[in-house]
Amino acid sequence: MRDFRDMFVIARREFLERVRSRWFVAITLLGPIGMVAMVLIPALIAGRGAEGAKVEIVDQTGVIAQPLAAKLEEAKWKPAIHPASTADDATYRTEMGRIRDNKINGFITIPRDALDGGQIVYRGDNASSQVVQVTLHQIVGLVVQAERGKRAGIPDAKLAELLRPPNFEAQHTNGETEGASGMASFVIAYMLAFILYMVITLYGVAVMRSVVQEKTSRVMELMVATVKPRSLMAGKILGVGAAGLVQIVAWLAMGAITLAYSDQILGAFGVTGKGPALPSMALDVVAIVVVYFVLGFFFYAAMYAAVGAMVSSEQDTQQVQTPVTMLLVIGVLCLQLVSNDPRGSTSAIMTMVPFWSSMLMPMRYVLGGATLGEVAISLAILIVSTVLLARAAAKIYRVGVLMYGKRPNLQELVRWLRY
Amino acid sequence: MTHALIVRGLVKAFGNHVAVDDISFEVPRGVVYGILGPNGAGKSTTLRMINDIYAPDAGEIVVLDGMKPGGEAAQKIGYLPEERGLYPKMAVGEMIEFIGELRGLSRALARRRAGTWLDRLGLAQWAKNKVQDLSKGMQQKVQFATALIHEPELVILDEPWSGLDPINAEVLREVVGEIRASGRTVLFSTHQMEQAEKIVDHVCIIARGKKLLDGALKDIKRREAADGLISLGFADTASQATADQLLADRALVADKRPPRAGDVADCEVKLAEGVTSQQLLAALVTAGASVRRFEVVVPTLHQIFVDRVGASATVAERRPEAS
Repeated sequence: MRDFRDMFVIARREFLERVRSRWFVAITLLGPIGMVAMVLIPALIAGRGAEGAKVEIVDQTGVIAQPLAAKLEEAKWKPAIHPASTADDATYRTEMGRIRDNKINGFITIPRDALDGGQIVYRGDNASSQVVQVTLHQIVGLVVQAERGKRAGIPDAKLAELLRPPNFEAQHTNGETEGASGMASFVIAYMLAFILYMVITLYGVAVMRSVVQEKTSRVMELMVATVKPRSLMAGKILGVGAAGLVQIVAWLAMGAITLAYSDQILGAFGVTGKGPALPSMALDVVAIVVVYFVLGFFFYAAMYAAVGAMVSSEQDTQQVQTPVTMLLVIGVLCLQLVSNDPRGSTSAIMTMVPFWSSMLMPMRYVLGGATLGEVAISLAILIVSTVLLARAAAKIYRVGVLMYGKRPNLQELVRWLRY
Repeated sequence: MTHALIVRGLVKAFGNHVAVDDISFEVPRGVVYGILGPNGAGKSTTLRMINDIYAPDAGEIVVLDGMKPGGEAAQKIGYLPEERGLYPKMAVGEMIEFIGELRGLSRALARRRAGTWLDRLGLAQWAKNKVQDLSKGMQQKVQFATALIHEPELVILDEPWSGLDPINAEVLREVVGEIRASGRTVLFSTHQMEQAEKIVDHVCIIARGKKLLDGALKDIKRREAADGLISLGFADTASQATADQLLADRALVADKRPPRAGDVADCEVKLAEGVTSQQLLAALVTAGASVRRFEVVVPTLHQIFVDRVGASATVAERRPEAS
């Protein structure tokens, strides 16, 4: 009972010390600006990335240039048809010169046999842009197909019918459930894994530093005499964690508001078109995502606490925390692996290991790779190992107390844990 | 239960350095008890074991009513560690309040007492400042408050005078007096004998991890005085000459030394085995020496300490290293 009270008193101290700092307030408030930018910038790029691109068309077939220019104008490009009907070296050189002088962005060379498979080439200073590539590929494809149709004598009405794109969508399923919301949830799971990674690196490290600072400020002798190290560690992890969660909840709330009003916000910046929509998620998915997020944070926070307990100064933390960072990075890298084969045995194993389950299990569950039973087992493993880790951290702290300026070797660590 | 603390056969080694070697002592309730020793004697290690910071290798510690160190006992103990340290970014008032709460006070009571202590220590206007904004001396006072806020039954002060100016040393003496007056117990460690002598009731002198002497200071002094050190002064040079002849008698006087620096006596003598001060005085009077001063010397704590600890007082401090 007393241990719990101590834990909460310590957690409150850690929480308040963080929440009251100017940095915390600044970052919490500035976060949404980043959030708005996250909505605006992709919309801006997608919306007007290739708009106004100046391109010239060097057409040797004589039939493609007109419809191509018309289509490009529809996409708000600024096409022009080059008068030369032959793509000789002189034309090539002048066009290259115009790119160099920033007169045009690029030029399209259409060979005489373009309709029969001759290679159409676009050369331009914006050719590396995904938007430019995709737009040109689509438009050129359509125009060439239309001209082929005309050459074959197909009437315009029939041609339009032929060229109408099919309605296609990929849906993920494991054979049991409808996969309709699958992709949206997948994106969410992916994003959350990254956010979790960020939060762990931000706040896990904060736990570690809080432990180390107790040594550098010499307050730990007083603390160890006053409370059980176990309460101290648990309180720290909870307090710093709560501060982190407050920040995330604040951000998520602001983010949700931003998304809900994204059309209006975009409108204010003169951009039409949709921002990303907030995907709807099933309740069980939400629950699993939240539970793993919180537990994953506490697991790594306990690990960082143990790391902090091992070292005696902030400089030393750099090397010792590297293994923890490596574990985290492995988790992020394995996201792809799980999303490619959510039902495979590698995924099954990875989502049981407490180092990675918090990042990978939500993804695996969303993709239908895991049953609720498996989720329960993986959660149990995660909780038990978090508690054990926090206790180990407390023991290391307890024994390593007053060991200024000396880092234990592996052998000593093992002895400390048995103490 | 009449004891605030009982320590039996305490042993603690760091690697092959034995910091505390079979130390036993008992601290009665309501006294001021000093653990005295040179640097590296094992004082802090002993106090840390009582505070459950180190686990003893052997021996037993009984705190107050049969409690073990740590746990419940922690609420009854106030501790000023040798390594002073507070949370640098915490407000001064909150820091004191925080420790008070962890030592078992309710939040409201802790807040009230923190305010009282800040007033008392003259830090009231600093209550909202961060600990790191305070000078070292002021931080030291805050640290005292954290040791005393919960009015503990047993107050443990490790080297309380280190870093204290004379004015604050006076405040400390006053506070210790109050604690004793309220029937509570103070256990402190120091190597500053002059300071200790002003407040201490009982002492335990240790050196190199071993106990040399313990008991009530009064008894110890009486015992040491009975060893027969007498300070003498004579009315004139003739008496002095007469006395010098008498004092050369080895059957009466074992040793004769010049007076201590600053003393107005003519000489100091140590009586031979079996001779009482009464016999010496009678002999001097019979011989016709005019005695101006005849005083059985009660040694100061400092003298007792230096006599007992001897050369080991200069042993260099050695930091314990757990391994």
